[in-house]
Amino acid sequence: MSEFKTNINDKIINSLKSILGNQNVLTDYEDRYCYAYDATAIGDALYLPDVVVLPENKEQICQIVKIANENNIPIVPRASGTNLVGGCIPLKGGIILHLSKMNKILNIDKNNLICTVQPGVVVGNLQQEVSELGLFYPPDPASLKVSTIGGSIAQSSGGPRGFKYGTTKDYVLGLEVVLADGTLLKTGGTTVKNVTGYNLTQLFVGSEGTLAIVVEATLKLIPKPEEQQVMLAYFESIDQAAEAITGIISAKITPATLDIMDKNTMVTIENFHHVGLPTDMEAVLVLEIDGFKESVAVQTQQIIDICNKFGAKNIRVSQNQQEADELWFARRSAFGAVARLRPNVLTEDAVVPRDKIPEFISKTRKIFDKYNLTVCIMGHAGDGNIHPNVSLDLRNKEEAENFEKAAEELFDTAIELGGSLSGEHGIGMLKAGFMKKALDENAIKYMKEIKKLFDPKNILNPGKIFNE
Amino acid sequence: MNEEKTKFKTLKDYAEDIYKCTKCGLCQSVCPIYKETGMETTVSRGKFTLLNGILNGKLKFNKKIAKNLELCLGCKACYDFCPSGISAEEIITAARHESSKINGIGFIKGFLLANFKSNFRLGLLKIGLDIYRFLFCHSEGFSPKNLSNSANSQMDRFPPTLLRMTEPFKTIINYLKLFNSQLRENIKYRKLKPIKPQSRLNIVYFPGCINNYVNSSVKNAVLIVLEKNGFKVNIPKNFTCCGIAARSSGDFKGFSQLAENNLNQIPDDIDYIITDCASCGSVWEFYPDFVQGKLKEKAKILAEKTININKFLAEREIYLPENAEINKKITYHDPCHLKRFQNVFEEPRKILKQIQGIDFQEMKDADVCCGAAGTFCISQPKISKAISSEKAQNILNTKADIVCTSCAGCKIGLSQGLTEKNSTIPIYHPVELLAELYLKDEK
Repeated sequence: MSEFKTNINDKIINSLKSILGNQNVLTDYEDRYCYAYDATAIGDALYLPDVVVLPENKEQICQIVKIANENNIPIVPRASGTNLVGGCIPLKGGIILHLSKMNKILNIDKNNLICTVQPGVVVGNLQQEVSELGLFYPPDPASLKVSTIGGSIAQSSGGPRGFKYGTTKDYVLGLEVVLADGTLLKTGGTTVKNVTGYNLTQLFVGSEGTLAIVVEATLKLIPKPEEQQVMLAYFESIDQAAEAITGIISAKITPATLDIMDKNTMVTIENFHHVGLPTDMEAVLVLEIDGFKESVAVQTQQIIDICNKFGAKNIRVSQNQQEADELWFARRSAFGAVARLRPNVLTEDAVVPRDKIPEFISKTRKIFDKYNLTVCIMGHAGDGNIHPNVSLDLRNKEEAENFEKAAEELFDTAIELGGSLSGEHGIGMLKAGFMKKALDENAIKYMKEIKKLFDPKNILNPGKIFNE
Repeated sequence: MNEEKTKFKTLKDYAEDIYKCTKCGLCQSVCPIYKETGMETTVSRGKFTLLNGILNGKLKFNKKIAKNLELCLGCKACYDFCPSGISAEEIITAARHESSKINGIGFIKGFLLANFKSNFRLGLLKIGLDIYRFLFCHSEGFSPKNLSNSANSQMDRFPPTLLRMTEPFKTIINYLKLFNSQLRENIKYRKLKPIKPQSRLNIVYFPGCINNYVNSSVKNAVLIVLEKNGFKVNIPKNFTCCGIAARSSGDFKGFSQLAENNLNQIPDDIDYIITDCASCGSVWEFYPDFVQGKLKEKAKILAEKTININKFLAEREIYLPENAEINKKITYHDPCHLKRFQNVFEEPRKILKQIQGIDFQEMKDADVCCGAAGTFCISQPKISKAISSEKAQNILNTKADIVCTSCAGCKIGLSQGLTEKNSTIPIYHPVELLAELYLKDEK
């Protein structure tokens, strides 16, 4: 066993083992080596935790956190480790709290349209379960087949459906969290309406594991839309596509999804997956319309007319579920295709006001061109959340440095246009240095005060959101 | 050592593939082992991180890593799902090879592999099994009575007091049931009258060691079905085991010896090599990488000519008797080595649905690994059983009378799960049902 970076010692390891059982406490170097990362490309950097624990219930988590607090040991919660801003990386060592064994759906209440789940429940599994009962949990991060509710709450993650249905924050009604001192705290409740003191629920949503550890969540569900239709509309210029977006929104139509992909993305997808995307178009809009059958039909026609009006070259509309799946496959394979270009992918997540999208996309491309980086731009045009996916090899020092510079310019541009650093991935360790660009001093001061109040010893996911 | 280095692909050859894992973690959603353990070290992303550490010099092949490498079923489910298209199965196999040079492959595995490599020892095994079968197993045919009793009926020969024993004995009894279920012979060979003039196709049938030494039922069925449809089958005498277990354990030298032997048994001018077992079929694709010189070219050609019996039959108009039927509800389990290695999954379903009387019921997660995965069920019994148990539940949920699959290994996984759940649903190869149909027709 190698030396501990923190105050952990053999005695503490033994207490953890007595709480969790030997098989749920990992201390071997090789085991810990597999918990030094999440889905963030960080090159050679290695942040080893001192111990990994796999709790099976919230009482165990209380005990673990209490030990961590008493001994000033950092503790980082994680489940599937799909975070893209280094949120699950144990920057200061300490304990990794792996929540993969807390993956039970505790209750689905059809009458009150709510469900109660453990943090390790996979988003896609929850959606599947509630869907079988005719219900719907809309937040749909691209990683939903693996990413968990706990992670979604920590990062307040969104997804393509955010435009119409909002993001995770809009579906969390109540939480049970373990505080830094190991005690439990319950927020909110089981009702959609609830004004009883400060809204602590929303304070914890998006707090990236820095204020408390979510151990149970009560989520809002809605009835499942009767029908869904997917369509792709191709344009010869980004501007035309943007005009069509504005046209659709000003016509008071609200598609569930209103995504955009640029030419580079289409070419890359076509190279690897051959899904029939044109490679000579500058932009494609990916739209999903849902609701009652009749309303879907009317809206689809309206959207077709608007897209045609603004110069769409071609429009593909799904005629059945299989075709809908095929069209979605084209959109969802974007990340994978970019991943095949070069060894590493870094995904940015800036957000700008909707009407600034064309300007932001063209500036983004200019920035990455300037630094000789390959970028595929895709994003949720409906809510102004744009993801430039940069394909590179971090072993190449020059490329890695160029990316740093480009990312900073990208953030400056987004903020100049009235936007912000992150739409749905969060700040984590990657963007902590840019917080001052995005927020005013007072906001940061009060956020830090809140952090101090909840976690005076700074043991909960230290080094995230704010640089120390 | 140096000679070996030039012969087989090493971890270094996969360095770029390993490095390009973006750590997106999507493999977690399909990995049956991760589902049971919930540990990052057991999923492909974790293994790639460890292997990358080895390539960077930050880690070394030690017992711990050897153990982690063992925790892969080689089911290839994550490959289908990997955005970067990395073949974990291939890389982990290569890593096991290197690890075995340092850590060995373990006593039990080593012992098993040594047996697979020797036709003489397998022959002794066969004699032992035949004696056991004679003493303890009914000769089982395809009758409703036998279907409902199956494995349990074989247990009737044990004194009832033994059966009433508690847990540790139950485990032993379950192993015996499992053992007996593997020996159960569904089909006995009979020469049937062909319905067509003999085809001029030059076919070699590779029965594999289970058919040759443990239970020849599937082999009997393949011969009955092919002969009935006018195909003459040639089985070279000196075939050995296909070597799948040697390869997946990292015993590349042993695998290449078996590959050489099997390739040498086959004449140059054949049209097809037919296999019935998913694993025995997929090795022919691997052989070219494990042999040298002229044999490599031959191996490449033969890899193209290898075809699974389900596919061979589904591509042809086969005889479907009008006067015979099988009135059973059937479900089908996709062997990993057939669906993901050979892309054969519609064909067995097509054959089953063609049989008069069969009510085909798809099970949930039909293509998820059965948990047996070669020697995995012996080296990791706990995880293996948990995976098999889920598979068995999915089978039971269909309320099927018979579960079909096309792999001798999967038969172990399915029996393991079903036995734990006290189920006696019999396991058939689709071709066994076809043969049964032909036998009925002949009566």
